[in-house]
Amino acid sequence: MRLPLTITFLLIVSSINAQNTITGTITDPSGTPIQGANVYLDGTYDGSSSDEKGVFSFTSAEEGPQTLIISFLSFETYSLLGEVSEMKNLNVVLKEDINSLGSVILNAGTLSTGDNSKASVLTPLDIVTTAGADGDYIGALKTLPGTSNVSEDGRLFVRGGDANETNIYIDGQRVFQPFTATTNNIPARGRFSSFLFKGTNFSTGGYSAEYGDALSSVLLLNTIDEPNQEKTEFQFINVGIGAGNTQKWKKNSLSVNAFYVNLKPYQNIVEQRVNWIKPFQSLSGEAVYRHKFDNGLLKVYGGLSYTDFELIQEDINVADGVRFGLKNRNLYLNATYRGSLGNDWDITTGSSFANDHDNINVINTNILDDENNFHFKLKLRKRFSNRFKLNLGVEQFLNTFSEKAQNPDSDAFETSYDNNSSAIFSEANIFFSKKFAMQVGIRGTYNSLLDYTKISPRTSLAYKTSSKSQISLAYGDFYQSPLQEVLKYNTTLEPEKSSHYIINYLYQDKGKTLRAEGYYKSYNKLVKFDTDFPEFASLYTNNGDGYATGLDLFWRDSKSIKNFDYWVSYSYLNTKRDYRNYPDKATPNFAAEHNLSLVTKYWINDWKSLLSTTYNFGSGRPYNDPNESVFQNQKTRTFNALNFSWAYLISPQKILYFSVSNVLGFDNVFNYQYSDTPNVNGEFARRAIRPTADRFFILGFFWTISDNKTDNQLDNL
Amino acid sequence: MKIIVTVLTLFIAVTMNAQTSYKNGMTKAFELWENKKNDDAINLFERIAKAEKENWLPYYYAAQVHIVTTFMIKDAQEIESRLTKAQDFLNEAKTFSKENAEILIMEAMLYTAYVVYNPSVYGATHSAKVEALYQQAKTLEPENPRATLYHAEWKMGGAKFWGKDPKAFCPEIEKAILYFEKESKNDTPFYPKWGADQVKRIQQSCK
Repeated sequence: MRLPLTITFLLIVSSINAQNTITGTITDPSGTPIQGANVYLDGTYDGSSSDEKGVFSFTSAEEGPQTLIISFLSFETYSLLGEVSEMKNLNVVLKEDINSLGSVILNAGTLSTGDNSKASVLTPLDIVTTAGADGDYIGALKTLPGTSNVSEDGRLFVRGGDANETNIYIDGQRVFQPFTATTNNIPARGRFSSFLFKGTNFSTGGYSAEYGDALSSVLLLNTIDEPNQEKTEFQFINVGIGAGNTQKWKKNSLSVNAFYVNLKPYQNIVEQRVNWIKPFQSLSGEAVYRHKFDNGLLKVYGGLSYTDFELIQEDINVADGVRFGLKNRNLYLNATYRGSLGNDWDITTGSSFANDHDNINVINTNILDDENNFHFKLKLRKRFSNRFKLNLGVEQFLNTFSEKAQNPDSDAFETSYDNNSSAIFSEANIFFSKKFAMQVGIRGTYNSLLDYTKISPRTSLAYKTSSKSQISLAYGDFYQSPLQEVLKYNTTLEPEKSSHYIINYLYQDKGKTLRAEGYYKSYNKLVKFDTDFPEFASLYTNNGDGYATGLDLFWRDSKSIKNFDYWVSYSYLNTKRDYRNYPDKATPNFAAEHNLSLVTKYWINDWKSLLSTTYNFGSGRPYNDPNESVFQNQKTRTFNALNFSWAYLISPQKILYFSVSNVLGFDNVFNYQYSDTPNVNGEFARRAIRPTADRFFILGFFWTISDNKTDNQLDNL
Repeated sequence: MKIIVTVLTLFIAVTMNAQTSYKNGMTKAFELWENKKNDDAINLFERIAKAEKENWLPYYYAAQVHIVTTFMIKDAQEIESRLTKAQDFLNEAKTFSKENAEILIMEAMLYTAYVVYNPSVYGATHSAKVEALYQQAKTLEPENPRATLYHAEWKMGGAKFWGKDPKAFCPEIEKAILYFEKESKNDTPFYPKWGADQVKRIQQSCK
């Protein structure tokens, strides 16, 4: 009898003994009470939720030092170590979690796509279902503001910069030849198949110190981390066929795909303005292997492609035209590792390698080009807190180029160079509050070929003006080495320089986005030469300069009309530059003053069809008429194109796709070529540079085979 | 001897006490949930989870209440926050119980919630994940009634979208009913056994 009594007694004693009441009030930084926060002593059952006045109160049998935890959605978890008996009438202010939705975003200059980005303007699906993009991953980006419509080139022309001023990265590693090899007036396409990517950051200015050697823009493509499922895919298109397969096992996955394009059958049916001797054909293969480690992810990408074509290009100075043939072989390898080192340190490292070989025949000259590029990057990130993160990185670029030109009339000409550069960068991300954030970075580059060292500061600020809107600013200095076409003849030049000043306004509300960005960009040290094209004997200087200023507008509404989604981009551009062989400052041919894109997508459920249209408008492009006394003061007629595409889902895994560009057949002119010598009347004759065909048709069938029968290739179209 | 007995008894008493507070806590949390005090229920499940250390169940239920709550609210910011939190809870649950069909089913529900809330953004990317998770769950437990029932509902939704007959999946619901009846009582207290009351609702498409 005595024993149970003792126990009872003991139990009673212990429960009487320890009744500490823990009380307090919880508010957000503005003093508003927080209701429903979880308050408890760590490792015990003792706790409660705060009431509508932010007040909490609970009792605990615990004694001595304990940790009080307060957690709530979208706020940083608060912890307090102290004597339980002293935890009374606490006043706790929770800090907003700056990682949560609704925080300010450092986005000046950047247009993002993807699920995860808070400032996304497009989803990955948009990228590929945009009419006129024709399955080119980069095509849809040309409907975004800040880009100029230069459809005879196919590459990205950003804010008065030419296409060489944009660099492309895959998983943080540089891509050296992102576009298919081509020649004048035949548009290039992105080399990479769209199914590899999950998100894109397209920066039209003011980008991070992590990226260098680009005056205008960087395009960052991220590959998917883990494919959803095993599948086999087939593509049958009127211009080619393709197949792909994805396998997953344990912590690994492997995707392979191959594509063959041959434009001959198409060109036999649809009349072309170009005289093709050997129509364009290409064969490409890609493979991606991914392995998940406990604390990281390894991705290895490899792509190999062959391109071959030959044609006779019209030329005002050569009656029979200029015969041009090209064979290109391109190999690209990219390996990256991303992981955690513990203690809030993250590592991202990788390298990429490219070998590009061209065999070009122009009239009777044979040119052999061989270029190797290597990029290594190591980046460490330390997270001191959610509010302060620091990036540190080093980069190394190695580049070798050699060219051998030969024709029957003269000696062979050979040239080569090694262009290596090293860079270090550091960048800090500081969130002063959920409303106000800043990024400050600096980049130092040393180039061994041209023997220069340059320091570029980069900074951006963002401030949230309301729950739906924010304003951001960015500034940065950017350097870029002269192009290969110049470096092969001259290696004493300095890098070209630009500075960006950007102000951005962003408004986002339930499926609606308005983005307005104004900018000023100055150019200095632009390369000039005294001949029509860079030549061995040309005189080269860094005396060029220029500017670009403008306004980019973007509006998207995917909510107001059911199943209907549209966006409008408008870019105003005012730019002049003195570069290459310009006699003085002028607006280049690629820079139209006004560019407008209207993209619409309509999902018709009864037809299981996605209809999309894209309308592009560009004001007249400047060209030079030697009959006029002022350089480059003429303008072409305006550019118009209405593109249409129709994706019909026969079943969840079978898609029939049809698209036609420039449905209305606008007769567009990009530029004029004038003869070198005047005719008998003393006038220079000209010919218009026009698209190779007014319209382009695609008819395709896309078939996916997978166990779960849901996945399809709509996101690859 | 006496002392040893006393100490032993005390020890047992203390252990039983802990067991009791787990039981009481879980019971209380379910009560709160039943009384529509979802946030209080989540908070309590979370507190139990943190105190219990290596038990996946309170995390699992905390995630479930968050997911279920998103079906009743409209605010995008709140939905995203809740689903992120639910994912965190499920990740915790997974560290204590690997290859667990119930957790995979809950993860499928989580991705379903994303698709329901914003089909144009998440439809394409998350649908395949939902499908894969149900299949994984069924591989682990071919006769799991929840996997069978909710996978059927998911497929019926897909069939409706494609203009096909959702009735093709009605036999699956019959199977689920059978599995619910057969479902053996798990020895673990509070082991998931919900879902039987949803059969009627899902069966409406079979009429």
